[in-house]
Amino acid sequence: MASQKDVKSRISSVKNIQKITRAMEMVAAARLRRAEQRIEALRPYARAVRRMTRRTVEAVESIPNLPLLEEHDEVKRVGLLLITGDRGLAGAFNSQIVRAGNRRAAELKAEGKEVVWYASGKRGVSSLEFRGFDVAVAHQGFTDRPAFANARDIAGDVATQYVDGKVDRVEIIFNHYESPLTQTVRENVLLPLQEMAQVLAEAEGEVDEEDASDHDGSEVDHHRSLWIYEPEPEEILQRLVPDFIEITIFRALLESTASEHGARMSAMRSAQENAGEMIDDLTLEMNRQRQAEITQEIMEVVAGAEGLS
Amino acid sequence: MARSSYPAEVLTPEGQVYQGEVEMISTRTATGSLGVLANHAPLMAMLEPTELKLYKSGSENPGSAEVDRFAQGEGYLQVVDNSALLIVEDALRVDEIDRPALESRLEEARQGLENAEEGSEEQDRRRREIKRAEAFLAIGGEGS
Repeated sequence: MASQKDVKSRISSVKNIQKITRAMEMVAAARLRRAEQRIEALRPYARAVRRMTRRTVEAVESIPNLPLLEEHDEVKRVGLLLITGDRGLAGAFNSQIVRAGNRRAAELKAEGKEVVWYASGKRGVSSLEFRGFDVAVAHQGFTDRPAFANARDIAGDVATQYVDGKVDRVEIIFNHYESPLTQTVRENVLLPLQEMAQVLAEAEGEVDEEDASDHDGSEVDHHRSLWIYEPEPEEILQRLVPDFIEITIFRALLESTASEHGARMSAMRSAQENAGEMIDDLTLEMNRQRQAEITQEIMEVVAGAEGLS
Repeated sequence: MARSSYPAEVLTPEGQVYQGEVEMISTRTATGSLGVLANHAPLMAMLEPTELKLYKSGSENPGSAEVDRFAQGEGYLQVVDNSALLIVEDALRVDEIDRPALESRLEEARQGLENAEEGSEEQDRRRREIKRAEAFLAIGGEGS
């Protein structure tokens, strides 16, 4: 049976843990707020790029060849991009991504496809490598505060692999940020780029309608003659494609960061509660010990007194 | 006579970095330097990494002009209805430029370019990265 001193030292170490987890919760809360602000800050930029794309598409005579939008004829190899964090102690945040990735990989393999792994975040990279997978593109060391340059690096690597034919499709798996308490795993197709294909299709649809109704004063020519394009709209459109991927990945990184801090906050809060319960239990244990020791001493004194009389 | 001013906005993925009246915007496209004054025709331009200068006043006399300077990454400039919108990947204040980080990126990109296959997407991308790093380093040099 542990002595009173042992129990005392255990209580103080649990109290320390409680203090640390409380500090971590507060840090996570502050970072969560910042991450939320950054998700908001990205919005006007993304909207401006989308609006510009629409205007550019209206101005082009024919939509140029955009390899990132084209579906590959045969899908043999699929890239899975897992967005995780660099650090643990955030509940199921990292493990649910890795689990979703593995489930998706099993599905793909059952369809006879090969899986190529990409990962962002130390946790994702190391747990994939631990399972013996080869991670083709690994990025880490920034998930506390991802910069747009990080998204650009990842987007560049993934897009290059797609265009150079190393993969035929890329899917992204990340924690979507709903609220500080809820994060849900999202699986989206990143390449071929559907979001932009949609913008193009919408714009093309409008052109077709106009062509059908009247031929002389098409809206497209109108636009083109009024605006100065530097360089040609076709070239601008080609440059806009990677921007879409970068924005999509940046948003996923930011949401993942916000989710990570949210998850860590709740994990730390429940750790504090557990520590509190443990302290209560240990305090009870210590009091019992002390009581037992006092009783023992009294009995010894009484026994000694009886022996003398 | 002072030049008339017009509203301009600079947007980056990190949020808005500038909003206000300017007399002239000086930046760079693939074909060369570009200066935009008030009442410019509608314009859509693709921008190259360079030093972005927003002249807030006194732009006819470059020596005494009040200028906001940024290290500007790739992006786009849109001018319509006498107002300008810059959509750029980066817009850093000159003192925010991290020279050692840029130098190591430049080195990495150069190595990547050497290893890249001829005519691949990889090669193209490395070239853009080198261009960006070189442009930013040039700005940092002048400023100090």
